[in-house]
Amino acid sequence: MAAVPVTCVRLTASMHTNQVVGRTSTLKLVSVGRARSRFPVLRTSRFQISCSAKPETVNRVCEIVKTQLALGNDSKVEPDSKFSALGADSLDTVEIVMTLEEEFGISVEEENSQNITTVQEAADLIEKLVEKKNAPA
Amino acid sequence: MVASRGQKLSGIQKQVLSLYRGFLRTARSKQPENRTHIESLVSAEFRRNSQMIDRKNFLHIEYLLRRGKKQLDQLKTVDSVRLSSSNVELPDTNRP
Repeated sequence: MAAVPVTCVRLTASMHTNQVVGRTSTLKLVSVGRARSRFPVLRTSRFQISCSAKPETVNRVCEIVKTQLALGNDSKVEPDSKFSALGADSLDTVEIVMTLEEEFGISVEEENSQNITTVQEAADLIEKLVEKKNAPA
Repeated sequence: MVASRGQKLSGIQKQVLSLYRGFLRTARSKQPENRTHIESLVSAEFRRNSQMIDRKNFLHIEYLLRRGKKQLDQLKTVDSVRLSSSNVELPDTNRP
């Protein structure tokens, strides 16, 4: 007799978990939709930052990326170029960030270095770090 | 195993990249000619493994990670100058 209520409880419990799972998945969908609609906004803010990174820095980063990936002179490296689009894998990206560190005399945190995917992002981060380094502590 | 493009990196991929970064950092403190030697060996080893090992072969990757960490520690503490080429293991180190 006692076994019957127990199974009942189990059933309801499993139903609850199912509902929860369903909810989280819809939540995820909603957030994706939001991210998409926000994308243009993100873009414009990135362009504003791109004004703050000096062209020299961007050019230097472009040169370093070019030599690091052994790209020919004819291949174009634009500020918006993604490292992966230039044929870099994640190991190359690590190498690029390490070279940039040495070149600019900075130290990039590990979490930051994994977020860098384009020349522009690298240049922005470098400017920020160089500024920090030069500022009095 | 580290060839993900444009997607978020998994935990184990981050660990591998972090180890790679550690090796490159440590290589900086060595003599220039040894440094290039270490860098080319380490880079070749990581690249070879990234091609050869299935990205879902976690046991093997974790084993290599552990081995790599140990080798990195040795490279850091002892003033060893070179790595041996065949399987990137440290040669006899000349302790002071």
